Amino acid sequence: MISFIGRSVIQKIITLFFVSIVSFLIIHIAPGKPSQVDPMNPKFTPEMVERFQKEFHLDKPLHVQYLYFYKDLFTGETVSWKDNQSVLKKIWERFLNSLPLFIVGTIITWTLSFPIGIRSAIFRGQFYDRSATFLSYLLISIPGFFFAYVLIIFVVNQFHVPVIGMETFGIGDGASLPYIFMDRIWHLLLPSVLGATGGIAVLSRYVRSQMLEVEGQDYIRTAWAKGLPPEQVHYKHALRNALLPFVTMFGLILPGLIGGSVIIESIFSWPGMGRMAYEAILARDYPVILTVNFVSAVLVLAGTFISDLLYLVVDPRIRL
Amino acid sequence: MTNDNTLISVQDLKVYFRSGHECARAVDGISFEIRQEETVCLVGESGCGKTVSALSILGLIQTPPGEIAGGQIMFQGKNLLELDEEDMQKIRGNRIAMVFQEPLTSLNPVFTIEDQIGEAISIHKNIGSGELRDCCIKLLKDVGIPSPVQRLKDYPHQLSGGQRQRVMIAMALACDPDLIIADEPTTALDVTVQAQILQLLKSIQETRSMSILYITHDLGVVANIAHRVYVMYSGIVTEQGNAAQIFHHARHPYTQGLLASLPSRSKRGKRLFSIPGTVPNPAYKPAGCPFHPRCPHAIPICGKEYPKMCDYGQAHLARCPVLFKNSHNPDKPEPKSI
Repeated sequence: MISFIGRSVIQKIITLFFVSIVSFLIIHIAPGKPSQVDPMNPKFTPEMVERFQKEFHLDKPLHVQYLYFYKDLFTGETVSWKDNQSVLKKIWERFLNSLPLFIVGTIITWTLSFPIGIRSAIFRGQFYDRSATFLSYLLISIPGFFFAYVLIIFVVNQFHVPVIGMETFGIGDGASLPYIFMDRIWHLLLPSVLGATGGIAVLSRYVRSQMLEVEGQDYIRTAWAKGLPPEQVHYKHALRNALLPFVTMFGLILPGLIGGSVIIESIFSWPGMGRMAYEAILARDYPVILTVNFVSAVLVLAGTFISDLLYLVVDPRIRL
Repeated sequence: MTNDNTLISVQDLKVYFRSGHECARAVDGISFEIRQEETVCLVGESGCGKTVSALSILGLIQTPPGEIAGGQIMFQGKNLLELDEEDMQKIRGNRIAMVFQEPLTSLNPVFTIEDQIGEAISIHKNIGSGELRDCCIKLLKDVGIPSPVQRLKDYPHQLSGGQRQRVMIAMALACDPDLIIADEPTTALDVTVQAQILQLLKSIQETRSMSILYITHDLGVVANIAHRVYVMYSGIVTEQGNAAQIFHHARHPYTQGLLASLPSRSKRGKRLFSIPGTVPNPAYKPAGCPFHPRCPHAIPICGKEYPKMCDYGQAHLARCPVLFKNSHNPDKPEPKSI
C-alpha cells in the first residue's frame, strides 16, 4: 500500500515534468508574440518592445526561459505580464470564485444522474426510459450558449431577478444580509444548473448503460434465484457493481474546475478560472497560461491518484 | 401419472420468445415430474430448451421478450405460474434453489462469501447475526470447503472454480429446499473437480433427502447420478424413462444417436459417430417431428404429423411412432451406425 502510493507519486512527478516541458514548448511554438499583442497601441514603440523582452527574458534561449519560468513558479514570484500582479494570487482568487459554481454543478449532476440512469435501466424500454432517453438527447444536442439564453430570458422575465455576474452590481451598499445571500444564490443557480444539464444528460446515459450491462450478468440471475426482492437485486447487487467505473470518473472531475466552465463563465460574466485562462490566452500572457496549465495538470494527476485509491477501497479484486 | 410423492409436475409448459415477427418456441409443450428424493436429469444438446424450462420453474424468464405461453407447474399444490411475484420470492431460494452453470460469474464479485450465503438465509428466515454466521460456517463445511471460518471473509475471486461451485451449492442449500435445480453445474470445471462436485451433489441428495433436477448435455454424468431421465430435443421431450431404460433400451432415434456418439473403449481409435445436421432454429421448426430432418428412420409421414408419445411399459415413453411400430415387427431395422 505504502509502496503503491510512493510509486504512484514518483510516477506522477515525472509525468508532471514532461507536461511542463511540452506545454512550455507548445506555447512558444504558437504564432504571435507577447510583445506584439497590440501593435496599434502607441505605447508599443520598438524601444518598449525591447525593454519588455529584456525584462521577461524573452531574448534568452528557450531552455533558459524555461528555467526562469519554473524557478519563478516554484518560488511563487511569477507575475502576469499584463498587470504585473502575482499569478498565484490571481489564480487563487479566481479559484475561489469558480469553486461554488463547480461544487453546486457537480452535486446537481451526480445526485440527479444516478437516480435517472438507474431507473431508466430498471424500466428499460418502458415509458420512463423512453422519455428520459429523449430528454437527454435533447439536452445533449442543444448548444449550451443557446440554452443559456433561453434560461436567462425565462428566469429574468418570470422572476425578475438579475442573473449576470456573481452578484448584482453595487448590492453591497446598505442591503440586508439575507437579501445579499438570496442574490448570490440566484446568481449561482443559473450557471450551475446550466453546467449540470449537459452533465446530467451524458452521465445518466452512462449510468443507464452500465446498469444494463450489470443487470445482464450471471450473478444478478443468482440474486433473483435466491428470492431477493427487486430492490435488493437492483440497488445492492447490481448498483454496487455498476458504480465501479464511476469511481474512476469521480477522480477525473477535478480538472473540470478549470476547463469545464469557460463558456458558461463567459456567458454569465462569472469571474472564474476558465475565463481567466481564456483571456490570458488571447493576451498571450504566458505566465498565466502556463501556470493555469500546470495547475490543471496537477489536478488531473491528483484526480487519477484519488480514483486509484478509491478503486482500492471499492473493488475487492484490486489489492496491492 | 401423478403419484402421491410427486414433488413438482410440469405439464405442457410452453415458453416462447418473441422478437419482431419471429417467435422462437424455446420450450414447446414439455411435461415432466420429479418425485421426492429423486434425481431427474434433463438431457439434450445446447439450445433445446433445458435451461429455459428450469428458469421458468423459478419464474425467472424475462418478459418481454420471453412469455409463458401455456401449461402449468404444480409444486406442493400450487401452480407456480399463477403465483404473484411476492409469493414467488418466497419459493425461490427457499423451497426451490438453483445452482448455475458458471461458478466464475454467478457469484457477485464485490461481496464476501459470508454476505452472499448469509443473504440467502436471512431473506427467508428470521435469524440473529451470530446464528447466521454459524449457519454459513456449517453450510461451507457441508459442501466440503476446507477451513470455512477463514473462507467467510473471502471474495469470490480468491476461490478456485470448484470452490466457487461449492459455495454456490452451499447457497442453494441455505434454506434446506425441497428441490435443487442444477443447471450444468460441472460444465465449466475440469474433469477431476467435476467428479467431486457430482459426488457432493449425490451425497447431499442422499443425506438431506431432497430432489434434484439436473440439467446436462453430458450422458456420462446422467449415467452417474440420474434416477430418471428426460431427453429433450428442440423444446419437446422425446424420450423418458429410468436410467437403465434410456441407456440400454433407447427407443428414440435421437437418444440412440446420442448414445452412439459417446466414446467408449470398444470404439477406441475409431471416429466417433455424430448425428448429421444441427438443431433446428426454434423460430423455424420443421413441421411434424422436429427431429425428422436428421433422423435415419424418417418416413414421409414424420414430416407431416406431430409424433405421439409411445408407451413401452414401466414408465418408459418415447416420441417415435415409427420405431414403436418397428419394435413389434420381427424384422426391425437396427439403428444405423458408422
